[in-house]
Formats: sequence, structure tokens, C-alpha cells
Amino acid sequence: MSDKGKKNLGRRDFLKLAGLGMGAVAATNSSSGDGSPVAKKTAMEKFQDPAGRPKRPWWVKTVDEPTVEINWDEVNRINEQTTTVRGPGLGIHAGADLPGELSEKGAALKKERLEKGTPGWALKDQAIYNAQMWDLRGESYYLGPQTAETPEDMGVPKWEGSPEEASKIIRAAMRHFGAAQVTFMELDDRTRKLMYSHDPDGKELVFEDVEEAYETEEKRVIPNKCKYVIVWSVQMSLETLRRSPTHTACQTTLGAYGRSRRIQGLTQEFLRGLGYQGLGEGSINALGIAPAMAVMSGMGELSRLNRVITPEYGPMVRVFKILTDLPVATDKPIDAGIMDFCRKCKKCAEACPSEALSFEDEPTWETRGGWNNPGHKAWFEDSVKCISYWRTGSGNNCTICFAVCPFSKEDKAWIHDWVNFGIATVPAMDGFFRSMDDAFGYGTQSDPEEWWNLDLPEYGISTDRSVTEA
Amino acid sequence: MDKVGIEVKPRPWLEWILWAVWFLAEIFFLQNAIASGKELQSTAATIFWVIFAVLLIAGIVVWIIRSPEKQD
Repeated sequence: MSDKGKKNLGRRDFLKLAGLGMGAVAATNSSSGDGSPVAKKTAMEKFQDPAGRPKRPWWVKTVDEPTVEINWDEVNRINEQTTTVRGPGLGIHAGADLPGELSEKGAALKKERLEKGTPGWALKDQAIYNAQMWDLRGESYYLGPQTAETPEDMGVPKWEGSPEEASKIIRAAMRHFGAAQVTFMELDDRTRKLMYSHDPDGKELVFEDVEEAYETEEKRVIPNKCKYVIVWSVQMSLETLRRSPTHTACQTTLGAYGRSRRIQGLTQEFLRGLGYQGLGEGSINALGIAPAMAVMSGMGELSRLNRVITPEYGPMVRVFKILTDLPVATDKPIDAGIMDFCRKCKKCAEACPSEALSFEDEPTWETRGGWNNPGHKAWFEDSVKCISYWRTGSGNNCTICFAVCPFSKEDKAWIHDWVNFGIATVPAMDGFFRSMDDAFGYGTQSDPEEWWNLDLPEYGISTDRSVTEA
Repeated sequence: MDKVGIEVKPRPWLEWILWAVWFLAEIFFLQNAIASGKELQSTAATIFWVIFAVLLIAGIVVWIIRSPEKQD
């Protein structure tokens, strides 16, 4: 049974929503951006929810099934290396010559831009992009760094607690490590299909009835008991991505991936210190389908741009996952009207220079190519067109669709909460909200040169914008 | 000697509500104008400032028109 409507609008929420309060304008001037009528920041308060679940705006409903329709009989574990177009899959789907042709064109364009000093792709922009790339390419460990002392090493029993307590301490630790959101799901007969059959490096992911995970040259073995998935996100800098598709902008994506490696390692060591296993991504985008896991664990909803959109950050996050055998309290999918809004909006599809995104009103079951994973009703993308633009247009991972999305907003102006409230509760006004988004100038590209003059916070993100603990 | 009576007409309750709505709307648009500036959203900030200013002027004009001296 659905939990829809479970959250009622309390008196306090109503007052906050109405924007009442004499300190309202003064709050606007606080450096943290406090003063949102809905999600007042309460940093350093105690968890109220037993599992440390964050309090979300009241219009974010938990539901039993996600807003994206899924036919689990049609879903199969996919080989990341050969199915997606990030690696060898591109040659498989689009012809063996294409990767070489794209690389050649991309190299010529890169040189031309460097010589001309094209804003956003000039030498300093290339330099910061390359610096972030170094971090991105650092070491990731499937089994974790394995340097922390275990309870056994210390001569004490492993940590014991309820699943709620486990979720709470993992949330607390991971938020401290730098994760923006932390949600949990369990692998069952259905959701196990969201795990890749093979990682991007070609290693097979195999479930076995063993006690300890292990890794060989050919495969990574997942014990059946490691059935809990910690799904977490890392913020990207919205102000930076407003310069998409330049290098100045896209380096924040690489930065998010780079930070994720550290968060993953820390979390794996934390779990090890508790006496449990933490199985991470052995390379970038490994283990399983990140947006799908984010949807199933209630982090956000699937969108037209085929990535997850969260109520808190919009699409301005990268999503990662860790498997563990520590039993945790899982989370349900959500409905905040996001996927419904995508039906009317299409702003990402209109802005996509490679026309890779779908303009269909309704999501469909039909995929657009072998790179899509069938079994869910979505606005499937033409990934070959997308990756071709990466290589020969932007020279990086583009992210225009992230930048123009109406859910990509800072949290300072109250209007954003009102719009999100309207989107969730009055779908008939979705078209109006989209038009207003354009009229108010949201989603327009900012000057990449101006970025170097901005005094942005650490990582270009606001770490106190996220959530009020329940 | 003629008696002089002074009649005090209370402001209708509906008018008080309208002024309260006006005040809250002004706070709302002012907050969005300032915050949009902080978000570096210049178009949005300009629109909110214009709405705030128009609403403020409209309120002042209505207040003057409806002041007791004008209603004599």
C-alpha cells in the first residue's frame, strides 16, 4: 500500500511555507542562505528519525513503487563495458572506426581552442580540467583500502545494533566524509538485476555463497549476504556547471568523482572498523546502474535526461554505491512530481546540442539502441549522439542537460520551494512553471571567464543547503 | 449650544486582510529579489525588484488615496 499522503502539512510547515515571520528578510542576508520558507537549516541538531533519515519537504511522498514504470521480467544484468558507450561499447554499437574518428576530430578541436584561447577551453581551463582528471583517475578499491583495524584486531566483538542504528551511524559518518545524501536499498530478486554483470574494466561481478568477498584477475565475487546497498551522492557545483559545456564547467563533474573515491575508501574503512564488509566501485561507474539504484532507494526520480533528479539538489549530484553485509534500514522510492514535470518541460532535450535526448511527451518501453537497458519506461537517449558530442564538441562530458534543468537551482530564493511545491501538487501548472523558468533567465549559460572572478566556497558547493533532520 | 459629534469609522476587516496580504507579498518579492542577486541570477533578480517596486508604489498610492483627509 502506498504511503502517499502520509505526510500531512503541519502548522509549522504551513507557517514556513507562507513565509511568515518577521525575521524573514534578515534571514536572507545570512551567509548560509537560511530563510527558506520550507527547509530551514538546522545544522548540529540531533537525529530524530531512528535511521537518521532527513526530513524532506512535505510534498516529497514516499511510495512503494517508483514513478518510473519497471517490468522486472525484461530487466537483465548488463555488461557495463560492452553495453554502455563510455568504453569499448561505442565501437560495438556505432562501428569500429567511430572511436578513432572522434578522437582525431576531438584532438584537432582541442588544439584549435587552445591556440585561439577560446573562453572556457583556454589553457587555464584545460589545466584545471586536467588537474581534476588526475584525481578522477586515482585508485579505487573494490574491497577497500583494508588498512583500518578490525574489531578482531582490537580483540573486541564486532559492532551490533538495529538496522535503524546502522543506517543512522553510516549516514552520520558519510555526511562527515563529504556525501550529500545517503540512502539504502536491499538487493532482492528484482533489484539484483541493477548490478552489472561485468564492471567497466571487464571483470565479471559474481554472486557466490561465500563469507568473504574476493577479487581475481577475471572476477569480483560478491557474497550473497552483502545484499545491502548504500547509495550516496556527491554534489557538483551549480554555479560552475552554469558554464557548460566548457572545461571550466565540466571540471566540477570530475571533481565530484574524485571526491567520491575518497568517500568510498573512508566508508569502506569505517565498515571494516565495525566488523563488516564494504564493497565499492573498483573503477568509475562500476558495480551497478547508479540512477536506477538512486531511484529505488528514494534519493530522487528518473528524469528525461536519464539521470536522477533529487528534490534537494536537482540533478546536480553524482551517484555512487557500496555493498555491505551490515543490515541497514532501507528507504522507499519517492514521488515529488519530478518525472511528471519532465513530460511537459523538455528543456534539456531542447538544449542538447547533439539532439540525443527524447522529445516524446510520454516515456516509452522501446529503447533507442543496444546501449539502453530495456525493462523500464523512460525517455531513452541516443547515447552515440551524446558521446560523439562529448568527443568532438565539448571535449569533455558536456552536462548542458544538467545545467539547464529547472530543478538545478540554488536554495537561497524562496521562489524555488514554491515552484517545487507547485510542481508536486498542481501538475496542470507544469507548462507554466517551465515558461516562467525561461522568462526568469534560469538555465542560460554564464560567462566562463567570469568564473575565475567568483569567490566560491570550498568545492564550489554549499554544504549546508541540504537537509533538515526530521 | 450645538453638539459636535465625532464619528470614528473603523477600517473594514477586509481591508486589514488586504494590507496584510500586500505586506507579505512585499516580503516575498523582496526576499526573492535579494536572494536571486546572491544566486547571481540577474534576470530573476531584476524581475523581482521590479515587481517589488511596482507593488510598493501601488501600496503607497492606495494608502494616500484612501487616507482620511482624502475621504472627507
